[in-house]
Amino acid sequence: MTTTAPGAGGEAAKTPAPAPAQAPGRPPAPAAEDGRAAAATGSSPWQLARRELRRRPAVRVSLGVVLLFVLMAATAPWLGALGGWSPEEFDKSAIDPYLGGQPLGSLGGISPDHWLGVEPVTGRDLFARVVHGAQVSLLIAFAATAIVVVAGTAAGIAAGYFGGRTDTVLSRLMDLTMSFPSLIFMIAMLSVAKDVNRILLMTAVIGVFGWPGVARVVRGQTLSLKHREYVDAARVGGAGSWRILTRDILPGVSGPVIAYTTLLIPGMISTEAALSYLGVGVRPPTPSWGQMIAESVAFYETDPMYFVIPSTFLFLAVLAFTLLGDALRDILDPRGGRS
Amino acid sequence: MTKRTQLALATALVAALALGASGCSDPKKGSAGAGASNPAAANNGKALGGTPVKGGTLTVLSNQDFAHLDPARNWVMPAMDFGTRLLYRTLVTFKAEPGKGGSELVPDLATDLGTPSNGGKTWTFTLKEGVKYEDGSPIKAQDIKYNVERSFAPDLTGGPDYAAQYLAGGEGYKGPLQGQHLDSVKTPDDRTIVFELKRPVAEFSATATLPTFAPVPQSQEKGTQYDARPFSSGPYKIESYDRDKKLVLVRNEHWDPKTDTVRKAYPDKFVVVMGLKGGQIDDRIIAGEGADASAVQYMDMRPESAPKVLPKPEVKARLLAESQGCTEMLYLNNSRAPFNDPKVREAMQYAVDKEAVITAGGGPALNEVATAYLPPALSGGKQADTLKIAPAGDAAKAKELLKAAGKESLKVSLAVSTGDKGKAEAIQQGLSRVGIEVVVDTIDPGAYYDVIGDLSTTPDMTFTGWCPDYPSGSTWIPFVFDGRTIKEKGNQGNNSQFRDEATMKRIDEINAMADAKQANQAWIDLDAEIMKKSPAVPVMLKRKPLLVGPNIAGAYGHPVWTGTIDYGTVGLKDPSKSQG
Amino acid sequence: MILYLARRLLALAGVLLAIAAVTFVIFYVLPTDPAAAACGKTCSAERLADVRAYLGLDRPVWRQFADFLTGIFTGRTLGTGQYAVQCDFPCLGYSYENSLPVWDLLMDRLPVSASLAVGAAALWLLLGLGAGVTAALRKDTATDKALMVGAVAAASLPVYFTSVMLIYGVIRVAGLLPYPTYQAFTDNPLAWAANLLLPWTALALLYAAMYARQSRGSMIEAMAEPYIRTARAKGMPERTVVVKHGLRSGMTPILTIFGMDLGGLLAGAVITESIFGLPGIGRLFYGALVSSDQPVVLGVTLLAAFFIVVANLVVDLLYAVIDPRVRY
Repeated sequence: MTTTAPGAGGEAAKTPAPAPAQAPGRPPAPAAEDGRAAAATGSSPWQLARRELRRRPAVRVSLGVVLLFVLMAATAPWLGALGGWSPEEFDKSAIDPYLGGQPLGSLGGISPDHWLGVEPVTGRDLFARVVHGAQVSLLIAFAATAIVVVAGTAAGIAAGYFGGRTDTVLSRLMDLTMSFPSLIFMIAMLSVAKDVNRILLMTAVIGVFGWPGVARVVRGQTLSLKHREYVDAARVGGAGSWRILTRDILPGVSGPVIAYTTLLIPGMISTEAALSYLGVGVRPPTPSWGQMIAESVAFYETDPMYFVIPSTFLFLAVLAFTLLGDALRDILDPRGGRS
Repeated sequence: MTKRTQLALATALVAALALGASGCSDPKKGSAGAGASNPAAANNGKALGGTPVKGGTLTVLSNQDFAHLDPARNWVMPAMDFGTRLLYRTLVTFKAEPGKGGSELVPDLATDLGTPSNGGKTWTFTLKEGVKYEDGSPIKAQDIKYNVERSFAPDLTGGPDYAAQYLAGGEGYKGPLQGQHLDSVKTPDDRTIVFELKRPVAEFSATATLPTFAPVPQSQEKGTQYDARPFSSGPYKIESYDRDKKLVLVRNEHWDPKTDTVRKAYPDKFVVVMGLKGGQIDDRIIAGEGADASAVQYMDMRPESAPKVLPKPEVKARLLAESQGCTEMLYLNNSRAPFNDPKVREAMQYAVDKEAVITAGGGPALNEVATAYLPPALSGGKQADTLKIAPAGDAAKAKELLKAAGKESLKVSLAVSTGDKGKAEAIQQGLSRVGIEVVVDTIDPGAYYDVIGDLSTTPDMTFTGWCPDYPSGSTWIPFVFDGRTIKEKGNQGNNSQFRDEATMKRIDEINAMADAKQANQAWIDLDAEIMKKSPAVPVMLKRKPLLVGPNIAGAYGHPVWTGTIDYGTVGLKDPSKSQG
Repeated sequence: MILYLARRLLALAGVLLAIAAVTFVIFYVLPTDPAAAACGKTCSAERLADVRAYLGLDRPVWRQFADFLTGIFTGRTLGTGQYAVQCDFPCLGYSYENSLPVWDLLMDRLPVSASLAVGAAALWLLLGLGAGVTAALRKDTATDKALMVGAVAAASLPVYFTSVMLIYGVIRVAGLLPYPTYQAFTDNPLAWAANLLLPWTALALLYAAMYARQSRGSMIEAMAEPYIRTARAKGMPERTVVVKHGLRSGMTPILTIFGMDLGGLLAGAVITESIFGLPGIGRLFYGALVSSDQPVVLGVTLLAAFFIVVANLVVDLLYAVIDPRVRY
């Protein structure tokens, strides 16, 4: 668990992921026996995970929070409508235009009408916006994670299994990608691109800089699995590369990959928030948590609730995913991420 | 010009009547319509803090560096005010007075406002005696000619292009940096300068207030690097300039107050601290502690700070909110459907909810509803209101007009600069009432004018404002509504792509008028004519909210310079309290 | 060793070239026209063409890139005649905004960003490693749990949230510190530190949390190694065991991350610099983006990449010093 979003992402996205640069000359991460052995010998990572989760209360709580947020994001259109406001609807009666659009009433206008208060100036309902914001933030985070994991796993397995020139090319590409000042680059790319779907673009841009982290772990993992007896046996038995990769190698690397995937998500959420915070993320009136925080920072003193509410949601989401990821890593890959 | 006091009184009266008529005002609803008397405009037309005492250090807190201080390149607002009041003098300038008096022209380096001859095509100015640069050398007519020539150089970008527009024989001229000079500016002796123009320009005296008409001696030329160290002809000179961080001005001992009726130059020193966060600047001046007590802010107070200012009488007393004199408009793209149909355009006048846009722009304390194109300062202090539409619009009437045009549901695009995002959402919300769906595209400020100025990428609607360079319709209507200014790329001003023969003909006729007063009325009449054709929807008039520290005296928003603080007369109540 | 270094330096140059090419293509192929941005409020077609020519934008993209590359080594001049601006090696082009050489702008801002990054790094190492090692040595005690919960929570707070809270608490309410304005260390070391204290804290909190988690894990692993048992068996004092053996091998993985983080922050603290109004490289970058000042954007990107690859190189070389098993 260190930085992925290679170094430069640091300020925005501390993505827990495998140590990026392995010291040259040092042996590749020694395969952690317990976790992998278990994975190889039958009880699937999922079964292990379930068993472990039942044991730890903190993890149960964070799993609950994660599920809640996912549910919230998935049902945003209906859940948001419960409050009676659409996220883009103005409410002139909820604000005082003579005071810079300050919400009327205490606590940022929290009332039976607006459950979490309203946005200053526009009077838009914060409940509706936070719920819809969850959808945008999580959608981008999940989609970017998916890109990173799929691309990273594919590249890692290919590099590790085929070795030789494939490995050289892919490893150089990983080094190159990791040398990019990613946050700076993401900002630049997002700010110059015009008529494009912001959500798609953000997903792609965040994804582009994340894959080498996963690829490195998977590569190391694959290298150690490649010469296991059962793989050799399959090869001798005449199985093709594709069959070996999908039947023997992929299940072997899936444990750590699942753990990292969970640990990647909070970093992705933070990155989305940071980019939207800097004004290069999703475009209005679409809400996202980062964008809401960005807008509310200026009001932190005059309308603190407006600032606190989206910040709390972001904090809880990142915290819950991190705790869950930690637990999964302990179970599925007790050593891998640390060397 | 502006009859500001009467206007304020009238507004207050109307507001009082409205409140009386409705019987009660429910404070919970905070109704934006009727509006109490504007709490922010109380200080308009007067200088805050009385007359300053000479001496001390005045601090200017800014979130940015100056765009340009080179007089040939200086054309954006606080920088233009700052430069011409402190660092260089121009042939003519505006009086340093709040309210109406400020729009009066007074000679600066010249002895008078210039003498027209040849039917207004030739203008002659004579320089005062004893005007000097910071090194004590005399200011010569040739130096003004030289800077006018500099405004043609492609290296020296960003400045006003009036010289290029007006001077005869300017076509193809690329500035004096390679040694070529312009024949249409003549300097028969060191104190006389003669401009020969392409056409009569009745208000050339006002043109000569622009920094283009400040002196730059050729011996001080440093090309693009002159920007970092302009050679002073004004009351202060640059002691140090650390780009993006700090600028320190100290007195120019060779500036003679006897030659200058405008600038008072009270403080001994100006310190501009740059790159601060906008909200933090507000907080610092509100608190007014230490050096911040003697500070003014360079850019506008943030609307979020209004709740920290308006309810507190002590702080509110330190808020300036002069009208900026610009009209912000929703430009409709006249070149293609649906806005090539005048009926649809007319419907838009009724469909827009100006009240919501104003709230998004900081509320009625800092904005007014616009009812005509020409800003109030150009139409006798008050805009005409020919259509008489309520501020929130008239959705029923708009629907009716759309129905008549056979366009009951429409989908249009709107591009705004990132900062105007809230206003765009308010426009979007308003138009949705009449069945018009708006797709908003926000564009970074740096790229905004490129995108809307490129006819291949320009959207159906754009939202932006136009400010006059000096109080004359000639710096406004021809830029915004003359079809001949439309360009494939870099199109600016006429964002509606409004091409109307009658309007263009009338513009030429008014431009040819030698009597400025007659021309003024003609511009106002033309404004009403254009309103009928509805190429754009005038939406709002902004005020310039600026906070000053408790130790600041003599501060007011200059009515001509978009309400920015007049740096020529601002100073301190007690210089000993300032920290240098 | 020499050979290895030469190879790494060559690879470094290759990476920078690739990054320059990618950045160049992205910014120069996209539709924004810097000439129009520079030209002014009204700009005739003829003048626009002149400005384009002056900025060198009328040439094909590949020529512009070739000019840029050769310019790095041979220097360039902007404009012609006696008022042209000279830009010497290493010339990264000129700002469209103020015609100053990009290199000068970067070097002008570097002290601010370096002060921020290095100060924050010192603080987070102190806090993070302190907490991490303490927690590791008291594994599974209440101290360990409290420290780790704190670390996860701190790591989940966005830096802009902590920054705003620090500004509010320390400056607005308590009035303990002035609003940050950068003061050079050489002018007044005390004011330098006082002005940077809050930005340091905001950044350090985030990173310290990461380092605490990371170093706890490494320490626990290191202390379980057989040689620690051997050392203990030999009767070495516990303190010596921890410091000489545990820390040494436990901190090796930290070094990798530290190199990357510090390298990344030197030119990449965009958020912190903009919240605290510090005139560093991050803010230069952000301002340049907003005003389409492409040469500056390109320059910052290259400098940031340079720091990252150099940090990596330095880390790898340091391994040889720390870990005797590593040979090149």
